[in-house]
Amino acid sequence: MHQADEQQQSGGRVVPVYAITGGRTRSGAGQDMPVETLVTATAARGVDMLQAEYRTAVELATHPVSIAEVGAALAVPLGVARVVVADLVDAGHLAAHLPPSTDGGPAPEILERLLEGLRAQ
Amino acid sequence: MRSNSVHSDDTIDCGSLVPLKVLVAGGFGVGKTTLVTALSEIPPLLTEQEMTSASVGFDAAEAVPAKHTTTVAMDFGRITVDEALVLYLFGTPGQSRFWFMWDELARGSVGAVVLVDLRRIDDCFPAVDYFENRRLPFVVAVNRFPGADDHDTESVRHALVLAEDVPVLWMDARDPAASRGALIALVEHALARTTVSSRS
Repeated sequence: MHQADEQQQSGGRVVPVYAITGGRTRSGAGQDMPVETLVTATAARGVDMLQAEYRTAVELATHPVSIAEVGAALAVPLGVARVVVADLVDAGHLAAHLPPSTDGGPAPEILERLLEGLRAQ
Repeated sequence: MRSNSVHSDDTIDCGSLVPLKVLVAGGFGVGKTTLVTALSEIPPLLTEQEMTSASVGFDAAEAVPAKHTTTVAMDFGRITVDEALVLYLFGTPGQSRFWFMWDELARGSVGAVVLVDLRRIDDCFPAVDYFENRRLPFVVAVNRFPGADDHDTESVRHALVLAEDVPVLWMDARDPAASRGALIALVEHALARTTVSSRS
């Protein structure tokens, strides 16, 4: 986390971003996950064994965070964040909560709930 | 791989988290970041999308991004609406050469708030055209820059050739209450559209 902060502030990266994901820009399962997809950490063990960026992602997801937030915290492009998240979902460290609909807009029930919540704020 | 935690069906599970998104669009310097800042519960974060102009397919020989890769930055903010709903606000790059990003961002979104500076009204045409063509719900929010009050809603509607049902409102993007009002107007509009006509 601190490392990510420093990188963000200095605007530079120590390693090429795709090195984090072994050069991959796509991941099988998570290719289509929208940027707002929320992830939460599971109780799976073995987090200590993960690469630093992956561990940071799991730690962030103690509270629900989106792929976009993971990308911002790691100071990596969305494509990299998506691969990191997808790998962690595959490995059982993260649970993904996808948007209710990827085509068309959210259903009326969801919009009503959103409206109610915004009005209450 | 199929994972029990990834589910993409349309059913609503009240116990599960539901992410939603709204786009904030408009020309350069119109106040997109200001609006996101006014609404977000966290300081706006910066995210980057890396794009190559030709192919984005994975090739082991091209593991290192090529030189023609460009990075597009966008601001985003977050509103935790209730225990399950989380709304993200994405400030979309205004320049038309970044439209490739909009398709991915726009998919599944609630809709868009198109911010307008009446001194540079042309700047919002690409955004208005985009959302009209995609049939995405949007509201036009006139940011009250100096001189904005010399115009009225009808003249704005006329200048932008807006459909009758597109809400036009006047606001100050620095004001959280006014910004929330714009967001509420968008959700009301999106909701009205789902009930009036089913998606085609």
